[in-house]
Amino acid sequence: MATEAQLLRLARPATRTMGRSVLLTLPIVLWSFLMFGNPSVHQDLQAHIAGAMTAVFMIVLFFMMMKTGTTYRWRRWFFVSLGLLFPIGFIHNVIAMRGTMGIPVEEMIAGRTPFCFMPIPLLILPAAFTRTLVFPGSILPNGGMSGSGIAAMVGLWLAITLVIGKGWCSYACFFGGIEEGMAAVPKRAKIRKIDPRWRYLTWAVLLAMVLLSLALFEPAYCMWLCPFKAVSEYVAARNTVGLIQNGIFVLLFAGLVIALPLLTKKRTQCSFFCPFGAFQSIFNKTSIFEVKIDQTRCKPCVLCQNACPNMSLSKESVARGEALMSCMKCGACVDACPRQAVVWHIKGTKVAWKPERARLMFLYAAWAMAVMFGGSIIAQGIATILHFLA
Amino acid sequence: MVGPILFGEALALGLASGPACIAACGPVLVPSLLTGQAGLRPNARTLTVFLGARLLGYLLFAVVAWELGILASLVTAPRGLMIGAVYVLLAGVLLWYAYSAKHICAQSCSDSKLVNIGENKHRLVAGAAALGFLTGLNLCPPFVVAGIRAAGLGSVVQALLFFSFFFVGTSVWFVPFAGLGCMVRNQAVNTVARMAMALIALYYLILGIAMLLGRKGYGH
Repeated sequence: MATEAQLLRLARPATRTMGRSVLLTLPIVLWSFLMFGNPSVHQDLQAHIAGAMTAVFMIVLFFMMMKTGTTYRWRRWFFVSLGLLFPIGFIHNVIAMRGTMGIPVEEMIAGRTPFCFMPIPLLILPAAFTRTLVFPGSILPNGGMSGSGIAAMVGLWLAITLVIGKGWCSYACFFGGIEEGMAAVPKRAKIRKIDPRWRYLTWAVLLAMVLLSLALFEPAYCMWLCPFKAVSEYVAARNTVGLIQNGIFVLLFAGLVIALPLLTKKRTQCSFFCPFGAFQSIFNKTSIFEVKIDQTRCKPCVLCQNACPNMSLSKESVARGEALMSCMKCGACVDACPRQAVVWHIKGTKVAWKPERARLMFLYAAWAMAVMFGGSIIAQGIATILHFLA
Repeated sequence: MVGPILFGEALALGLASGPACIAACGPVLVPSLLTGQAGLRPNARTLTVFLGARLLGYLLFAVVAWELGILASLVTAPRGLMIGAVYVLLAGVLLWYAYSAKHICAQSCSDSKLVNIGENKHRLVAGAAALGFLTGLNLCPPFVVAGIRAAGLGSVVQALLFFSFFFVGTSVWFVPFAGLGCMVRNQAVNTVARMAMALIALYYLILGIAMLLGRKGYGH
């Protein structure tokens, strides 16, 4: 039987030697250069520099994860950068192409509205009932701001989601970074007691928006409730209804993405409002990666619960030895546990069976996708800033 | 022979329009069924009340529209005011329903069946009836199609029969909704359904007020 001191010694994060850390980082180095080292993609000097900076940034962060054995704080650098740089690159593109952040009706009729992943759950029922996409974009590339079209985004989302489940919300979502950054600003939370029933709101928003999208034949969330319209593209308000819509976007952004994360140190929009997040929770069942609690080591100190930015650990779930299905796999709880009782886990194996191997397997999958998807957005944002500076 | 053919047409029209009907009624019906008790029988009862009230709304509107002579002009008539008013009323009933369902989980999840005989149950039945009636008055596209066809008939009785058969056709699509009774009822499901109901109510409220004020939709 191990003593308390032995257990705590075992519980220290597995720091690695420099050589071993470099070795483990090599696949990400190769992948990053494959993603950002293609001269045919990046035409000008600023884009070249941005690509190189992004590659180095992603490699250094991964190296630090390998070296220190911790995940959360390094991932947070990436995620906050993604959240801050996405609007810069996106707004620049929007203004360059159409001269305004507002989406004119003409652009919608032409099917040139940019498609992000948020409306995916809203499209399913209308498509099933009527074989129609209730989004004013196009399935295939259609010029303008539609990017690669709906099909490419859905394909990319599906591929990433099937592997890392709700890890999407920590490694791919280009919206969550702003509130994660806000939540990191205060040292202590001003509001510490949050009624856990608020967690149900995200499911309620999903249910309401899916039903309304089917009834009114429009992506209801995008039309009325998306807080990130405030930092991407807004309704071209040509009447009172448009003004009301824009008012709702700004209020939700100010409340859920700025004020509440500052007060609670939680990702409040993700935890209590995002319907896509609720939808993603279902895919935690398809992913082989999860977070478990080793009951033999756990002393219920609630450090993991306090660290979770998403309220995905409760007393009951810790007693059951697992995180809730809303877990975003950000690694905060794993890093916070002084006894290493919270572990990365691969389904089908015993709990706490080589948790570092499980972490490595998850991180290779998640980081490769982060480099490909988030990295290209970061590079675009940096290139935009460099263009302004040049 | 005109009768059977005509009513067969109404039935076929109802069956064909069913998906559009459940799409239009879904935001109202699904959360209200989820806030009720578990089990096929209680759900079937709520669904029956909802559909019965919806039929009443259909027929009442058909009679009034026939008498006013506006049944044929449903497409071109200014429908905004009526739909706006129905949306605002729907929002009010949904909010009231969400509030009334506050304690239903505590009752349906408790051990004693006696507590289920309380007044909340009656309130929810009344809520289902009010929601069904208002969705019956809501001029959804399938209803307008049926209204225009019924306007060409010889008498108000024939029009009402046409609407009734149309209703039967659409109602077939609602039967699977009773299956929501098989879903587990706990605090989570009850709370999610009530929150969704309140959100949908706000949505209808904003749309309804905009329509009553004569404001058009997004970006126009």
